[in-house]
Amino acid sequence: MNWLNILSYRHFPIYAIMVLFLGAFLIVLFGRNRWARHILAFLSVASSLAFLIALVRPVMLGGEIIAYWMGGRVPAGGYAIGIALEVDALSLFFGLLIATAVFVACLYSFRYMEHDDNIPQYYTLFLMLAGGVLGLVLSGDLFNMFIMVEILTFAAVALTAFRNTANGALEAAFKYLVVGSIGSSCILAGTILLYAQVHTLNFAQLSALIPGGLNNATKVAFALLFVGFCTKAFLVPFHPLAADAHGAAPASISVLISGVLTKSGLYGIIRLVYFLFQSMGLGTIQFMLVFVGSVSMFVCVTMALAQHDFKRLLAFHSISQIGYVLSAAGLATALGISAGLYHAMNHTLFKGLLFLTAGAVLHKTGTTDLGKLGGLSKKMPHTTVLFLIGAASISGIPPFNGFASKWMIYQATYQKAVESGNIGFLLVTIIALITSVLTLASFVKVTQSVFFGRLPAAYENVTEVPFGMRFAMGIFAALCVVTGLFPDYVTRWLTEPAARAVFSVGQYINDMMGAGYAESVMGGLAPAQQTVSFVHVGVWSPVSWLLVLCIMLLAVTLAAVLGKYDRVSENAGEKVPGKYDLFFGGEESVYSQVGGGDLFWGFKHNWRHYFRFMYDLHSGVVNDYALWAVVALSLAVVFLQIVL
Amino acid sequence: MPQLLISALSYLGYILIFPGFLFCFLVGLLLAGIDRKLVARMQKRVGPPILQPFYDFFKLMGKETIVPAAASRTTFLLAPLVGLAALVVLQLFIPIFSFSAFSGVADVIVILYLLLIPALAIILGGAASGSPYAGVGLSREMVTVIACELPLVLVLLAVGRAVGTATGSGICFSMTQIVQYQIENGSLITRASMIPAALAMLLVIPGETGSHPFDAAEAETEICEGMLAEYSGAPLGVYKLSHAIKLLTMSSLFTALFLGGIGTGVIVLDALILFAVCLVVTVVMISLLHAVTARLKIEQIFKYYWTVVSGLALISLVLAWYGF
Repeated sequence: MNWLNILSYRHFPIYAIMVLFLGAFLIVLFGRNRWARHILAFLSVASSLAFLIALVRPVMLGGEIIAYWMGGRVPAGGYAIGIALEVDALSLFFGLLIATAVFVACLYSFRYMEHDDNIPQYYTLFLMLAGGVLGLVLSGDLFNMFIMVEILTFAAVALTAFRNTANGALEAAFKYLVVGSIGSSCILAGTILLYAQVHTLNFAQLSALIPGGLNNATKVAFALLFVGFCTKAFLVPFHPLAADAHGAAPASISVLISGVLTKSGLYGIIRLVYFLFQSMGLGTIQFMLVFVGSVSMFVCVTMALAQHDFKRLLAFHSISQIGYVLSAAGLATALGISAGLYHAMNHTLFKGLLFLTAGAVLHKTGTTDLGKLGGLSKKMPHTTVLFLIGAASISGIPPFNGFASKWMIYQATYQKAVESGNIGFLLVTIIALITSVLTLASFVKVTQSVFFGRLPAAYENVTEVPFGMRFAMGIFAALCVVTGLFPDYVTRWLTEPAARAVFSVGQYINDMMGAGYAESVMGGLAPAQQTVSFVHVGVWSPVSWLLVLCIMLLAVTLAAVLGKYDRVSENAGEKVPGKYDLFFGGEESVYSQVGGGDLFWGFKHNWRHYFRFMYDLHSGVVNDYALWAVVALSLAVVFLQIVL
Repeated sequence: MPQLLISALSYLGYILIFPGFLFCFLVGLLLAGIDRKLVARMQKRVGPPILQPFYDFFKLMGKETIVPAAASRTTFLLAPLVGLAALVVLQLFIPIFSFSAFSGVADVIVILYLLLIPALAIILGGAASGSPYAGVGLSREMVTVIACELPLVLVLLAVGRAVGTATGSGICFSMTQIVQYQIENGSLITRASMIPAALAMLLVIPGETGSHPFDAAEAETEICEGMLAEYSGAPLGVYKLSHAIKLLTMSSLFTALFLGGIGTGVIVLDALILFAVCLVVTVVMISLLHAVTARLKIEQIFKYYWTVVSGLALISLVLAWYGF
């Protein structure tokens, strides 16, 4: 029964990508009808997710690496000519994140986009973007990766400007187009340089050939690829793009840009550093990654504190969290990479949730300006709770998922500092801890100025968003709670296999190119199978904590209710002058809610020179940002020429 | 089966009686009462009886709770309870010398984060009341929290490094191990390199508990107690209780980190020693400061913590890092 082979899980990677592109094309043909379009979109994203989930058992738990050669063109004579997909635990990990975020964003879109024009085009671009990113992380060679980068960049640019009547949408898309193209060109140039040096584009073969043949050209290629992937992840100095793009894009697209697109950049960096150049042992490369990560982490959180637009604020936080991921992944320790990947996953979940709640607010009120909103918790109670879950997760409040991963990141950086004797890594721990509390502060600001405080008269008639949107947000919220409560399962099933894959480059090369290839080509350089340990220095068991908290809360509540805590008097229509009004000086002008922008005046005053400097730096002119890209590229090239 | 029942009951006892709810309730309010009396005596007033916080608490529990029309009812009423519960649970994870009710659940980093939850609860409660005074108050409270966070982080890392170097593991985040090390080798405060960190920790206590001169967030005379402006009745009583318990929590955290070696191993005596230490800390760092200082502005608080106090903690961290 040969034809049954097509049901083998070895074909699933290509199916997962194919259904997304197929869905995109079918929607172009049949998308005029609302139901046809919804069913097609749903089927594509759901089946893509299902195909990837089916791979968890063989790849994550079985440790298998799926090498899929298109048309059966396996490597011959030591050269990989055919187009390959490769799925190791690292690819699958990112693939799962992407498919999950795409699935939820698609569910959310059904109701969220229903009043827009050109909806079939939206779904087509949406699925193209999703397919592009998924193709990127599952691709087994550099050139296909570049093609996917192009597909996803242009889909993302088009989607950023999808609501092109909105203020700033075209400008944001233009900026994204310019700097995104610089990034794509960097990736292409790096690919060309590598091809000129070693005459192959296949990852496994590159991984075998580059470490032995390191020369100035390959170092430049490294710098080009690194900067290229940094633009895709919006790391500093490319962060202003993200703010503009998120501010203009529909919320469901923000989920993809923040949860999915940035992951493609991160994936590229990890592939580049740990596989192609196998530079995990080099202190200078670790320094470069951790430095970019920490700077992104801190600069973006302070930028977020200065924002007064809900979505721009979230955009800066998004980069700040990516900074955490890169700092941890750059440590080159098993715990660090596992922690970084854990945080990458959490970032997709909580950031997705937060962008969707911002979208819900925008959907009902028509604005995301923190100065104009207020008091929505009375009108949108479910959205408020979902937002609070997301805010607690990103700020790392136990027991939500942000805490579990940040806690591992602190340990990893501190451990690294102790092992390497380098006090610089300790600084990263401190920056990470401070960034975390600044994140909390900025979400307190959002909570206060959007959901609590005074309800402006214009929003008296606001209602809760439709169930379809709340359901999509609920999926993210539930995942935030689950991955926070059971960190052991997450690390065992997802992040540790992925981190282990990073340390088994030799096996990766041999599985792709045929047994013994690594040893024959690389000789003594062939990476040996490393023993990987994930030792935690601290202890944290969220379930026991939650159990104790629940018992305590129950006891306290019971005692409080017995103590007539619930003998609450509310305004039941009786006329008691002023009894249920808020207390303030009396005149209406005295009632001035502290505006979102001024909320942390005490902090900002002490940092005023820094904020002034940042304000001047972020001119909003695309020429400046393009210049930053060129400067970053030059710095990376020079740095790598000197140190590598 | 009976064994399971006994252990379940003993855990329930830990949670509800000692060192859980009842212990926190009694000791916290007692500390608050002594504080009030002492401040009054230092200012040549007569002051309330020492049991006054108990009277206040029970009186408030019997009063009418008014929920303002502008408030979000559920958050407004639930926030005080969550804050209180989280605070008492935090107390369970801080070992009392060799006794710890729950070991292996939370380390120092977790404790750092758990300390945020009560502050967050009061901030959310204040925000939910819709009051403009609460808006000002929560802004200041959040800045105070940020201000205290840096020195606290540095202190915890310094202690973790000091104990880790001594035990050979490089770092130690486990609360139980930190205390165990002190029981075997003497308290950390006896090491010269840890004295600046201990001082920094002592200075963090009035900031975390929001007492003079770091009480810009409450500032009764200026913004009507900020986040508590709209609270009345039982929820207000719960907040007052939380505030009192926080005195105990912060002092016992200090004790566990720096004075872990002075325990006797007998639980009743240890509890009394802990109470004595908490009393001394409260008298010196809360009452004395309260009586002799005036309120600082919020940007001064921030600057003070991020320069002076953090500097002290940093000295310890660097010394500990290089093995002193």
